Amino acid sequence: MQKQGKKSISGATWVSLCLIVLVYVLVFIAEQVLPPTSMLFTVLKKGATYALIAVSMNLLNGFTGIFSLGQAGFMLIGAYVYAVFTIPLSQRMSVYQYYDGGIVQFTLPIFVAMILAGLVAAFFAFLIGLPVLRLKSDYLAIATLGFAEIVRAVFQWDKLGPLTNGSNMLRMFPNFNNFNLTDAEGHVTVYLSTLIPFLISGVCIALIVLLIHSGYGRALQAIRDDEIAAEAMGINLFHHKELSFCISSFFAGVGGAMLAMYQTTVQAKSFTSAMTYEILLIVVIGGIGSVTGSVISSFLFVACSEWWLRFLDEKQMIGTFEVPLLRNGFRLVVFSVVIMIVVLFFRRGIMGTKELPDLFRKRKGART
Amino acid sequence: MKEPVLEIRHLTMQFGGVVAVNDLNMHIDEGEIVALIGPNGAGKTTAFNCVTSVYEPTNGAVIFRGMPIARNHPSGRMRKFYAGKEIDAFSGHVVHNTPDKITELGIARTFQNIRLFKGMTAFENVLTAMHLRRRSNVFTQMLHLNGQEEAAMRKETDRLLEIVGLTDVKDEMATSLPYGKQRLLEIARALATKPALLLLDEPAAGMNPQETEELSAFIRRIKEQFSLTVLVIEHHMNLVMDISDRIYVIDFGKLIAEGTPEEIQQNPAVIEAYLGGDVD
Repeated sequence: MQKQGKKSISGATWVSLCLIVLVYVLVFIAEQVLPPTSMLFTVLKKGATYALIAVSMNLLNGFTGIFSLGQAGFMLIGAYVYAVFTIPLSQRMSVYQYYDGGIVQFTLPIFVAMILAGLVAAFFAFLIGLPVLRLKSDYLAIATLGFAEIVRAVFQWDKLGPLTNGSNMLRMFPNFNNFNLTDAEGHVTVYLSTLIPFLISGVCIALIVLLIHSGYGRALQAIRDDEIAAEAMGINLFHHKELSFCISSFFAGVGGAMLAMYQTTVQAKSFTSAMTYEILLIVVIGGIGSVTGSVISSFLFVACSEWWLRFLDEKQMIGTFEVPLLRNGFRLVVFSVVIMIVVLFFRRGIMGTKELPDLFRKRKGART
Repeated sequence: MKEPVLEIRHLTMQFGGVVAVNDLNMHIDEGEIVALIGPNGAGKTTAFNCVTSVYEPTNGAVIFRGMPIARNHPSGRMRKFYAGKEIDAFSGHVVHNTPDKITELGIARTFQNIRLFKGMTAFENVLTAMHLRRRSNVFTQMLHLNGQEEAAMRKETDRLLEIVGLTDVKDEMATSLPYGKQRLLEIARALATKPALLLLDEPAAGMNPQETEELSAFIRRIKEQFSLTVLVIEHHMNLVMDISDRIYVIDFGKLIAEGTPEEIQQNPAVIEAYLGGDVD
């Protein structure tokens, strides 16, 4: 009885699910076979992290129509909460060397700390949302951007040192490599350092997708489509925007914790607004309003910036001929041009508003 | 005498020096279809927006089933250049709601310039409007544990679409529907909020004569079927004369006449203001 009213899961959805499972299997196999230092894993780990953050931003920008630029701020909060609560007690003295070991003298399990990271980020989002979400479009963007900058400054404040280690970096906390299974002598038996981030990211993104396809998700999309009509249909604008803002920030916080694990160190000054723009760029390239697009473009973006275009930064010789222009920094020039081309020719992003199952559906024109 | 469903008392809406609605008094009894007519710019939609709390009236009160849903009096700077009447009649507590609250209380509306949710299909448009009546919270919905409720809502949506005759286009994007069907979809969406009072803002705008005729029958039918009370703003005289039990006529924000369709057709003030003295 329960299932009856739900749309029965279509063939296209099954194909998509199988494809996703296949990706996970491939990641798992690759990790066991290829050397762990391979650039592929760097890209996959960072890609998975960015995918989650990009999807969380897409929930706000693409599905609720709130143009927020505070993502870096919430990532920072998430990263710090995670780091502060997971540094092993034995290492605290050396990490907090200027602050007598800090004031937090206990550690939380990794996953508890990650959830806490999300919750704290969501709590800050709730507080900042109270005044800020009454603003519209550009004003909201500026206010959230300002918030992110303030957070960055506050976390570096000397007086908060016992908690945040001031402007010094936090390190020694468990990172992705801790997910690898080891035998008694410390040799890695099963590599999981890429698969686990994939799983975390996958579960979070799945939750966001489920939200988007629920009644609340439709209400949020109604707000995006027409605020006045949404309100006239009994959707409380403020409550729903606040909800979307908190949920988005929760996942941005979890994403921040993952970023901390990826980087193995955390320092507030690296969470600049440029980081928000990177995420925004990913969302735009992927397609505003497409979760699939955000995920795909995260991996493409990370792969381009970290891996595929690296050769442009080094001198290359073809025979005895030295290829001109290739020197440090040239990568960024090419990268910018690539982005411009993408934006010019895929004006609505790679995916538009399509999702993965839409690609396997026969085109009836019913959904565009 | 029974209590009216909606009562508007001395409603005045002043934007700066412009008095858009001036001392409007209306009442709508249960089960009635009442029309509010007037020339362009007479303040009909403004009155509508005051009822639905899109605007906060400058003075006066709106009472829905005996409960004030909007109530205000000129204060502060407005008091100085207030141009309406009854300046002190509504001093005391101020009542102001948000539009979503009004809808929750049971007043649904459609829009003069159609405002459907553009990114959604016809079906989703109606389904979204049921969000208001959900009892499950965001977490159970996120995990899709509200299957029964969702199923009931989808069934109800199908029923509503069948009633307005849009079943065959339910999976089309709302904006790709022809104009007349978009209007019907807006009505279906309003009905999905389970209203007691339905406000229709120019439902026949952009419809051809045949569609208009169908619309009058349709409005009567849904009124009976959902035991609604209807307030309609309209320009099409045929439609208004056909469906209304009573008519209010406003011009320059002021009520100039009220009565049955026959009385209004005979009223010289209306003929002069509305029909420009040209009677055929």
